[in-house]
Amino acid sequence: MKAVNAHHAVSWKELFRKYNLLLFIGFFACIAATISPKFFTFQNFSNLLQQSSVTGIVSVGMTLVILVGGIDLGVGSVLALSGMIVSVLLASGYGLVVSIGASLLAGALMGCFNGLVSAKGGVPSFITTLATMVAARGLALLTTDGKPVFNLPESFQWLGSGFVGPLPASGLLWILITVISALVLKYTTFGRGLYAVGGNDEAARLSGIRVTRSTVYVFMLSGVLSALGGIVLASWLTVGQPTAGKGMELDAIAAVVLGGASLSGGSGGVIGAFGGVWLLAIITNIFNLAGLSSYYQMILQGGIIVAALMLNQFFRSRD
Amino acid sequence: MKKVLGTLLTTVLVLGMLTTAFADEKIIGFSQVTLDSPFYVALMEAAQKEAEAKGAKLIYVDAQGDIAKQNKDVQDLLTKGIDVLLLNAVNPGGVAPAMRAAANADVPVIAIDRPANGKLATFVGRDNKKMGYEAGKLAVELLGGKGKAKGKIIEIQGAAGGKVMMDRRDGFHQAVDQEPGIVVVQSPYCEYVRAKAVKAFQDMYEANQDVVLVYAHNDDMALGAAQVLKQNGKLQDVKIIGIDGLMQAVKAIQNGTYSGTVLNDPALLGTLAVDVALGVLDGKEYPEFVDAGTALIVPDNAAKYIDDSKVFAETK
Repeated sequence: MKAVNAHHAVSWKELFRKYNLLLFIGFFACIAATISPKFFTFQNFSNLLQQSSVTGIVSVGMTLVILVGGIDLGVGSVLALSGMIVSVLLASGYGLVVSIGASLLAGALMGCFNGLVSAKGGVPSFITTLATMVAARGLALLTTDGKPVFNLPESFQWLGSGFVGPLPASGLLWILITVISALVLKYTTFGRGLYAVGGNDEAARLSGIRVTRSTVYVFMLSGVLSALGGIVLASWLTVGQPTAGKGMELDAIAAVVLGGASLSGGSGGVIGAFGGVWLLAIITNIFNLAGLSSYYQMILQGGIIVAALMLNQFFRSRD
Repeated sequence: MKKVLGTLLTTVLVLGMLTTAFADEKIIGFSQVTLDSPFYVALMEAAQKEAEAKGAKLIYVDAQGDIAKQNKDVQDLLTKGIDVLLLNAVNPGGVAPAMRAAANADVPVIAIDRPANGKLATFVGRDNKKMGYEAGKLAVELLGGKGKAKGKIIEIQGAAGGKVMMDRRDGFHQAVDQEPGIVVVQSPYCEYVRAKAVKAFQDMYEANQDVVLVYAHNDDMALGAAQVLKQNGKLQDVKIIGIDGLMQAVKAIQNGTYSGTVLNDPALLGTLAVDVALGVLDGKEYPEFVDAGTALIVPDNAAKYIDDSKVFAETK
């Protein structure tokens, strides 16, 4: 499918198809800049990077799951559970390494469960992770009987609110994870195999890809990244909240789909998801900077997401 | 195996007999809107403790914010045979089936925290408008006093359409809108959630760097704004007012990085509701609204409210 471009002049449609997300982002950035002179400031971008990092990190895992044709509805709850684990351990005096390690491990275990039940048990991941969503929320609430955990050590706050030079640490972590994942998807057998699994798992199996194993790994990665999101959030907000991350799954799915992934699997990527998260963040940012009332915000946000996806679809089906 | 079964059966029977033995103790049913929030957990724990202390039994059910589930929950409680119902309604108008069922079973209903439509013995709650007004009065005082107050305020709003949010907003505006020098910029709805408030405030701060005071409809959101101000090195320059009396906020008040909070002690509310419920069963009469009261926590009195084992400050 790549060879086509060779003897064609590159048409604007193709250009649009390839870079539509950048165009959207550019379009909304221009609107934003006209509405508020504060939009194109370094401080605003730094804020946006920090605000989006949690959703962004979770979206990387979501992209991988969607790539293999699955869905992970449990990300928000796993994020909350992991955030609680890290907070409770820290507040009871365990060190950073133990607390963060245990929290990531919990995320991996939840993901492993999702993967095994979906890939081996043959339960659609929509159902498996729906169950995880409910159960993990229950566990998160159970850890402290629903109470938030305060008194997190200062040393823990750096991850969420610290800076490396002028850039927020959490945002850099998100970028780093995105870059690594993009490289893995592009250059490793495991990564390229995921596209095959999502495209047609039977064909993938016949061509020697370990479909079950890959799927389990993907869900585990999503669990670990959700846990990392929970750790960053707790660090940023200086509190572990069992109610954190509600609706996070929808934000992540919206970002991944805006980023060009197909919910039936086999196409998309983490760079797209990165752009999708930015697009969603910029839309809210404009409204907030402009001081637009909440109800209009919700309506316009919904409208813009649908419009973006329809345009996406329109140019995709045109060849 | 048979032995195990036999033992189990005997235990169940004995337990059953014990329950019958206590059958004359008063049973309070509590349909709680959600246990998904520390405020309602603290309220529930206090209610349970008070019921135990008064020799009554409290059975609670958690509607998980779902009005349909709440109506089913109440039906279940009535089937179990409660003497009085404490009802924290998901929304005032949606509990008609529950109210009907309670009336049919001759069980008095006491609304707690949130009002409910229908025939109530009484409503035990708080005047959120007054709480908003207290916050507003403090804001005016901090910005220069009556007639002289001036500056830009960012108001971080609670949940869209909620009565609590409207009351906390209206009460606040009642106090500050009389001051020609004060400008209030309102945030989008942040649903009382810190993470949402941080994002919104970060954006709003960019657009309104001349802000001198932040008022949030609860402490959790106000602490979110504090986090953003701290990051910008402005924590000392901007005054912060919240509502609830979240312990983390009370501590910040003592440290001087937070200006004040309006107490919304959930424990007292739970205790009071159980006392009223038992009073109703004894035939006592109550007014339509029983106010659990409030108090202003400011640097001068913060110390006496500090208690590390509590999530929310308690009335002193």
